[in-house]
Amino acid sequence: MRFRLAILFVGLAFALEGAGIAAPSQTPSAGAAATNRKPQPGPFVLDGLNLTDPEIREIDLDGLKKLLLRDPKDTRPLLVNFWATWCDGCREEFPDLVKIDNDYRAKGLNFLSITLDEVSDKSRAADFLKEMKATMSVVLLNVNDPEPAIHAVDEKWDGALPATFLYDREGKLVFKYFGKMKPAELRAAIDKEVGSKQ
Amino acid sequence: MKKQYAVYLVLASFVIIALAAVAGSGRNTSDLPSPPAIGTTIDDFKLPDADGAEHSLKSLTGKNGAVIIFVATKCPVSNAYNDRMEKLAQDYKARGINVIGINSNNTEPAAEVKSHAGEKHLTFTILKDDGNKIADRLGATRTPEAYVLDAGGKLVYHGRIDNSQNTANITSNDLREALDELLGGKPVTKTGGAAFGCTIKRVS
Repeated sequence: MRFRLAILFVGLAFALEGAGIAAPSQTPSAGAAATNRKPQPGPFVLDGLNLTDPEIREIDLDGLKKLLLRDPKDTRPLLVNFWATWCDGCREEFPDLVKIDNDYRAKGLNFLSITLDEVSDKSRAADFLKEMKATMSVVLLNVNDPEPAIHAVDEKWDGALPATFLYDREGKLVFKYFGKMKPAELRAAIDKEVGSKQ
Repeated sequence: MKKQYAVYLVLASFVIIALAAVAGSGRNTSDLPSPPAIGTTIDDFKLPDADGAEHSLKSLTGKNGAVIIFVATKCPVSNAYNDRMEKLAQDYKARGINVIGINSNNTEPAAEVKSHAGEKHLTFTILKDDGNKIADRLGATRTPEAYVLDAGGKLVYHGRIDNSQNTANITSNDLREALDELLGGKPVTKTGGAAFGCTIKRVS
């Protein structure tokens, strides 16, 4: 599985490089700061846009793949959490995720939160994040067919929410949790990654 | 010579330990029981409906098969499919395939399942799976999640109902296509599909 993921990442890296990928549904400033990234630890930047901006940005399948590939210069371990405001377990675990983000950001953890709310519910998602005092990077995955996106993340995942994935510095999936995560287990997994040498 | 064997043995055990560590690092305890592979015959089971009356899978299966759908009362995704599931049940009952709902959420008791079905006009049988035993046996993780069994109880489809909870955006009617192929005596071409849904609330 991990091997397959590694191949997927390498393959995608070449594909994106070759195609000079156009980011989906992006604003005109896309790509402007590609060579001028902020030093780590910093916010998640995609095509020069800071994803911690209050406005939740929409991404499609290509955008998702691009985010999972990351900037090769950004070697922080990456935590990805899929959620939606309609999902009880997601809302219940969110305060723990905010704490994890606060505790580990300075230690070099990058956190990407991906909501599956409908585009029409974007403001509800934004209100929830505000209420949670969440400051991690957030995007809204807007895809008509969820299957390719789900399988781009993990072949073993069937789309049940919430779902949490941790990637190491090389982009390998090292921990996953389907359903409401157990904070102690996730923290132990993160400790291993932020403690590892770059 | 003996000493050499001992060295090999030590080296081999290191390799085994290292491999175990690598294999273990990508998994965690949240990994659920795997669903049966397509083509597996599902053993008969018995569960009570929301009124407490016991039913066996065999007794609920139609002459041409059955669709088991894991459902919920509170999950908005499952609720978005209420009308579609009822229509599916009506459409295929006449063609010898019965829809069977199963509620495995430990947060949703039988009385709630009953009142919810009444409010939402769900007329197909909904079984209450206390202790999520059948969800475990079938490797079900989310609501709604569908399983199609042929007349002999063989699993021919496992996955989503269609590609979108919003009816206006449906472009892939996976479950209905599988049922139509089954009824047409053809092998099912797409035997599953993933979609976002609510995690089944299992007993801890």
